Amino acid sequence: MTEIQAVLILFSLLAATFASLLFRSRLWYRLLALFFSVTAISFVIFPNATNVIAHHLGVVRGADLLLYLTVFAGIHAFLLLYAKLRKLEQKLTGQVRFLAISNGQLLSADSTQQRTRAAVRG
Amino acid sequence: MTARDVFVVIPAYNEREALAQTLAELEPYGYSIVVVDDGSAIPEIEYIRTPVSSPIWYLRHITNLGAGAAVQTGTEFALFKGASVIVHFDADGQHIASQIERLIEPIRQGTCDVVMGSRFIDTYDRKLVPLKKRILLRAGIVVSWLFTGMWLTDTHNGFRALSRNAAKHIKLVENGYAHCTEILGQIRKSKVRYMEMPTTVRYTSHSVAKGQSMFNSVNIFIDLMVQKILR
Repeated sequence: MTEIQAVLILFSLLAATFASLLFRSRLWYRLLALFFSVTAISFVIFPNATNVIAHHLGVVRGADLLLYLTVFAGIHAFLLLYAKLRKLEQKLTGQVRFLAISNGQLLSADSTQQRTRAAVRG
Repeated sequence: MTARDVFVVIPAYNEREALAQTLAELEPYGYSIVVVDDGSAIPEIEYIRTPVSSPIWYLRHITNLGAGAAVQTGTEFALFKGASVIVHFDADGQHIASQIERLIEPIRQGTCDVVMGSRFIDTYDRKLVPLKKRILLRAGIVVSWLFTGMWLTDTHNGFRALSRNAAKHIKLVENGYAHCTEILGQIRKSKVRYMEMPTTVRYTSHSVAKGQSMFNSVNIFIDLMVQKILR
């Protein structure tokens, strides 16, 4: 085993551990992370295996196949995260809106004094 | 229907003096005014003078969300307060208060549910629009048509009036300026009656500076695309 293989295996194991801690109570996510880690380690130990799979799928080199898969996974992850972000943004908007409506104030002559400092500042 | 039943919703973000001027212009008409401060650095309330003839409601987003979110907040609040007609009006002094009566008349008459202001119907109004803006807005018309199927003369005009019934159908999720196209889609989907009416837009150095740039227009397009994909 070369040094780079050892480093890559170590990274894969760390990623699997981190994912396992991150996805608490989400079994499917944990299994998926485990699957990716095992696959990555296998490819590190047996680099030619990617070539064999690539040939079966009609791709010339294993490295190309990995590149395609990485691009695909990257786009997928980006879209998932963006969708999640938008959901969170909508939740935040809902909360901010609720607060704004609940605390809406009718401006009357009574509130003049409280706001005179604006006129001074202006 | 009295003037009090007409709620003018004004989204405002760091407008300060422009907002104060807009409110002063609106006040004589006696409409109910809803100012939605979209998380301005200095709360807009400090720039609002005490109203004499118009009730002014002040709502504040604790953080900046965007014009679309502020419009939706103001609309929901107006509905909650029993508004018969809701008018969306810009805070930067672009819109003319005296044109509100004309805008809401078809709703009062019961002949229409949504009246949208357009600066491209009347020749005089059209000439006021700077060339760069005119090109950008023309592109906006095509984009809006692609996303909503509605061919209008001015799709990014923030000056519009909605009946209570129409406003109930509006649920904007686009927090930014993409809400202008989103609202059209919802109007079409809800099958309410709509029309365009000529309105004048005043271009001051302040409003031009705060207006949408070419880059922001691309952002709006992306927002609409994403909304279409993720919906």
